[in-house]
Amino acid sequence: MHREISARSPQLGAPQRLAGAHIDLTRQRRPGEMVVQAFLYLCAAVSIFTTIGIVVVLVNTAVHFFARPEVTFLDFLTGISWQPRINAFGIWPLLLMTLLISFIGMLIALPVGLMIAIYLSEYAPPKVRSALKPILEILAGVPTVVYGYFALTFMTPLLRSLIGADVVQIYNVASAGLVVGILILPLVTSMSEDALRAVPMSLREAAYGVGATKLETSVSIVLPAALSGLAAAVIVAISRAIGETMVVAIAAGAGPRNFASWGDAINNMALVNPFTAGETMTGYMVRISGGDISYNSVDYDSLFAVGLVLFAMTLGLNIVSRRIVRRFREVYE
Amino acid sequence: MRQLSWLIAAVLAVLVLAACGGAAPAAAPAAEAVVTEAPAEEAVEAPSPAEGELPMVDPLTVTGDIVTAGSSTVYPLSEAMAERFINEGYSGNITIDSIGSGAGFERFCASGETDISNASRPIKESEIEDCAAIGRAPIEIRVGTDALAVVVNPENDWLPEGVTMEQLAQIFSADVVNWSDVHATWPAEPIQRFSPGTDSGTYDFFIEAVVEPVFGEEAETKFLDAANLQLSEDDNVLVQGIAGSKYGIGYFGYAYYAENEGVIDILSIDGVDATPESVDANSYPLARPLFIYTDAGIMQSKPQVAAFVNFYLTYVNEEVERVGYFPASDEALDGARAAWLAAVGQ
Repeated sequence: MHREISARSPQLGAPQRLAGAHIDLTRQRRPGEMVVQAFLYLCAAVSIFTTIGIVVVLVNTAVHFFARPEVTFLDFLTGISWQPRINAFGIWPLLLMTLLISFIGMLIALPVGLMIAIYLSEYAPPKVRSALKPILEILAGVPTVVYGYFALTFMTPLLRSLIGADVVQIYNVASAGLVVGILILPLVTSMSEDALRAVPMSLREAAYGVGATKLETSVSIVLPAALSGLAAAVIVAISRAIGETMVVAIAAGAGPRNFASWGDAINNMALVNPFTAGETMTGYMVRISGGDISYNSVDYDSLFAVGLVLFAMTLGLNIVSRRIVRRFREVYE
Repeated sequence: MRQLSWLIAAVLAVLVLAACGGAAPAAAPAAEAVVTEAPAEEAVEAPSPAEGELPMVDPLTVTGDIVTAGSSTVYPLSEAMAERFINEGYSGNITIDSIGSGAGFERFCASGETDISNASRPIKESEIEDCAAIGRAPIEIRVGTDALAVVVNPENDWLPEGVTMEQLAQIFSADVVNWSDVHATWPAEPIQRFSPGTDSGTYDFFIEAVVEPVFGEEAETKFLDAANLQLSEDDNVLVQGIAGSKYGIGYFGYAYYAENEGVIDILSIDGVDATPESVDANSYPLARPLFIYTDAGIMQSKPQVAAFVNFYLTYVNEEVERVGYFPASDEALDGARAAWLAAVGQ
């Protein structure tokens, strides 16, 4: 794993003047350089302003939503029924299905992704590695709408034939969750593999030196050493799963799984039944905005409230992942 | 140097692919047809217009773009008319967005983006007011009749005699969960409900014609509170759902049933089947009018819109049954023609 670092090429600079001569570096103007700098600055600014613009629009319209007389903030945070058209504004049915689908997805992506990463980084011969990585990257490049139809036309019939068509509905959460897992698999694999490979060779050599087997080295030395990177990979994958849209819009269902009350929801296994239809936050947003929007309606405003929750969740996860990386990072050499 | 140019080409190709990949999901939910220019293959023979009626349209002489949006029910009909218009020589672009009647009027009356609004229900007072605010006076043009199809899975064997209007309201209400709650001999399995979205004219019509007579004021609450309810603006989502659910039931425009006959079964309502005769005789309880709306000002300033509406009215009866709907009565079509003539000032 040692990389040869080529000797640095000698610095190319301005020819040295005679000692004592006054050189004013600040005066050297390079118009070409300044243009490039300004352009790069502009590019950076565009991305920042876009983000600010999105936040402003989200918050503004969400405030508009909560300012409506029929909407109360408390209902939004505690309600277990979502149907804006008839004044049911509880975010939980959408939130729960988002979490359930992400959970099923992670159940697939996390163990499988980690195992592939360990294999690629610790075991695979270079030849296999160089073949497997591009394949995973192809998987990452497939448009998500294709995954959506894969879920609906392959995964759902498969589940129905395995578990029974009476149990598994045509639109169901399990199928969408499993496919979301496959979808984020390349992400988990490639981030985990980077983390594992960043662990210095000397640690492995030390482990071999005291007689550890390859498995022992991988599991007890390399894995813990790469923990911060792995945690970051997991969290990025979760936030990707939460934000996943097309798969759930196509395969998970097109109506929120509502309950009359929290008691009803908890007593009822239906809350976590993965084989019935459910709608996530992103799925709701796609359905309502999918061509059919009246700007003045509560449906329209509700999109932004849901979007804000989604945004807060992914932002929170990203902040947490940065914290973890900073806190648990093992710095070598 | 050659390697570099290959690299650049590859990067460009990837970018283009990525752009296409990104655009596809956004376009998927809204069925949008951008029918582009097509060569005039068929020679236009001169069909003689009925006496004292609309002037002849020659699509070959019509240019300029037409923007339309609205009901997903009217969409297949408008699409068929636009295709025919193009085949006969129209050289502009006509866009037809399938977004629901309510959203169609939103674009026609509030933002004024469209020239023609497709609707599967008459325009509402509030929408007329919105139109007036931007100086438009909607002209109603009747183009056909739809029979709402109430459909079930082919494996459904407990409804050989169809349903009554009252049972239908019960089936789609929050009062019942299982089929057996509506009728004791029906299976004790949860009803899987499939309905067009809340902004579609089809949904409005169903609530008004089926649910309101039974539940009155509470109709929408009863309907939307029901468990196992899937709502989608995309009628194909509904078709797939019902085709895949033994205990499913749903409803949508007749054309979508006609397109999927065999995959799903239609129910008779109050013992009446949806046929051209029953729709014509008004005995099928779920028949409803289909409209397109435009405005005199638009037709005068954009002659292509007037020409298209004229063309639509002239040939709609030759296309309507192929699309899967029923022709409007002669009086209704004559009324629409008179409205056209008055609007263009002839």
